[in-house]
Amino acid sequence: MEYYIGPLKSDCEDILSQFQRTESVRYETFSAIWRKMDFSTIFYGKMSPNEMSTYTRLALTTAYPYFLPPYTFQIRVGGLYLLYGLYHTQLTSPKEKIRIALKDWEDIVKFQKDAVNAQHFDVVYILRKLFTLKAFYFTAMPKMLFFEVKRKPKRDEVCEDFRERPEHVKELIDMETLEEIMNVQQHYEKMKAAISTTLGQKYSGISLIRKDLSLQLRDTVMEYHKWQEKVTKIGPKDADTEAGEGTSEQRECSKRASLLASIKSKSYGQAVQVSRARRHRQVEMDTSGSGTDPGLEVSLRKRPQSLRARTRKNLIGKGDMKEEPQEFTRQWRLTVPEDKVHERPKKKKRFKW
Amino acid sequence: MAEAGDSVGRSEDENVPTYENVDVNSKIFRVGTFGRLWTEKLRPSDFSFQDGDEEAEDAAFSLDMGITPQTLREIKEICSPDTLKSGTETVQTEIVPAEPILRTLRLRKRRQDYQETLQRDFSDRQNIHASELEGLAAGKKPMDPKYLVPEGEIILSVNVLYPAIFQRFRFTRQHQTLRVLGSQKLTQLRDAICCVSDLQVNGEFGNTPDMVPEFISKDLYKSAFFFFEGVFYNDFRYPECIDLSKTIVDWTKTHDFPPFQSRKMEETLFSDLRLKVGYPYQYCHQGDCEHVVLITDIRIAHQDDCLDMNLYPLLAYKHRVKTRKCSVCHMYISRWITTNDSLAPMDPCLFCEQCFRMLHYDKQGNKLCDFLAYPYVDPGAFN
Repeated sequence: MEYYIGPLKSDCEDILSQFQRTESVRYETFSAIWRKMDFSTIFYGKMSPNEMSTYTRLALTTAYPYFLPPYTFQIRVGGLYLLYGLYHTQLTSPKEKIRIALKDWEDIVKFQKDAVNAQHFDVVYILRKLFTLKAFYFTAMPKMLFFEVKRKPKRDEVCEDFRERPEHVKELIDMETLEEIMNVQQHYEKMKAAISTTLGQKYSGISLIRKDLSLQLRDTVMEYHKWQEKVTKIGPKDADTEAGEGTSEQRECSKRASLLASIKSKSYGQAVQVSRARRHRQVEMDTSGSGTDPGLEVSLRKRPQSLRARTRKNLIGKGDMKEEPQEFTRQWRLTVPEDKVHERPKKKKRFKW
Repeated sequence: MAEAGDSVGRSEDENVPTYENVDVNSKIFRVGTFGRLWTEKLRPSDFSFQDGDEEAEDAAFSLDMGITPQTLREIKEICSPDTLKSGTETVQTEIVPAEPILRTLRLRKRRQDYQETLQRDFSDRQNIHASELEGLAAGKKPMDPKYLVPEGEIILSVNVLYPAIFQRFRFTRQHQTLRVLGSQKLTQLRDAICCVSDLQVNGEFGNTPDMVPEFISKDLYKSAFFFFEGVFYNDFRYPECIDLSKTIVDWTKTHDFPPFQSRKMEETLFSDLRLKVGYPYQYCHQGDCEHVVLITDIRIAHQDDCLDMNLYPLLAYKHRVKTRKCSVCHMYISRWITTNDSLAPMDPCLFCEQCFRMLHYDKQGNKLCDFLAYPYVDPGAFN
């Protein structure tokens, strides 16, 4: 069942990113997206009752983290709606419950308070409804643990697009602190005026503090907040901002790559005439090789390339001999059965049950 | 006062389970305190066994949020589960739609299509048995309300794995899952674990096949212990029980180990234990039959669970082992195993009662050749 974790996660992120784009927290919006994606079909398929309940549990466990911090409020609302949808559309009976761990309870209570304060009726209604329906298991840990120690520990990757922007600066310098600072400042000035030698003169020679400290603080915080918003809005979409050094480097890379590509395409624009020995074979332009540039190619190959792939790359990339793809010369097979021309000799990887 | 408050705060935090190794196991905590923390934080209606009262809930909701009945009706309409149906779904949920958008569905379609191309027919016996077992006890309520599981009770799911005989148990981690209540003693779990080594009869009976004694190992060797977090819980219910853990404790004293303690199994409730979820512990009986024990899940009891205290510890899942039939008739379950037998095709060889008698003894009951015969208990005896 572990193979379903990846696709489930990507489907959840899919629906939540669509929800995020609508910039609303209304249930109507969410249910419209749900209906469009036909998300309730996620439980379809021929499965025995036992497999179905295991799968449902897996689906609920995968969707649960989106309901908790560090995600933004909108994503958390989307996570709640997603859990509600999955709970109601599941096909097991009796219904599989959503597991809440003790450590997450405080976050959930806080979330409910925020929703009540913001008067999001549908959010509160749905949360309360799930409690009324007894849709929760109150557990120790968010999922059942079987001591599955893996060689490469899989770290739970928080989806960066959904992550809440850290508001530490705002928390540090909030309205109350600013008011306090202003009060203290006024107090200080009064004291200074009271003890100054010349009566009635507020300003003396010594001034140890900034005059409008709280105003400056507030302006700085607002500026930072605006910058943060600008970065998060533009950042993931296109790299043309002052988002840091990474993007400017990327731009240079792409310039160089496009230059190289243009040079290559000019030189390899025409097919090279093959030598007499190989004239019987057709010459075919292989455009796929020149289009890419080794600078841009991100090689994620874990294993070293096979001999076949290396030969192909070297010969086609350099353009010495324009070798066409293997369909035209199969030297290792003298005769080919007619119906199995396109059959690949490699054996497919066997399914792991 | 602040210090006392601090220590209480810290011990409360200690008992909120968190991951020690992410996705693998949790940190140590006391089960009883964990249960108490949950029941303190929740409203009684959250974990009661009664169905939620929808109308009362709606009334409370509109009062808390200060909305009109009109708005409430609208909200209910918008948020009803019917909005999740797009109308294009078919009644036949077994068929995956032809052009799935969702990645999960695409994977499932691939797997189903592949499964259909297979020649062999996988009869899904394990899953059928598992679902039957689950369905047996779900939602059962006792006749006598005295035996009703109290609300807020803790349920632990315990996996007991088969002993690590590597040749046989190479591919799967075969186990049985039992559910116990927090208020039950460890001895109740011990009695509920079914291990085939408990049923074995010792001794060679080639010469006296009729005198197989009735005693099984479970009655003969009654000692057992559980090992949780550095404490051995021994079974001292019967006078013939010995402290199996004593040897281990003595050995650790001479080597560099933290001191292990020893307690009585019959005096310990599950809610008194301090343990980690998902961490392997041990159950040892008959001196050398060792099982790995994992606590996979601890939670508050729910309305849909089995609510009859007499049925706990409940067997929730048991791996079904193939029963080995007699080598001669392939019909009956084998009862005898012979070695050094010239009449048998292989060494060792399994026989059922009748085939064994017919082959090895003549009409008067005399032994026909030299062999050693032992009574055999099939591992599939618990199916």
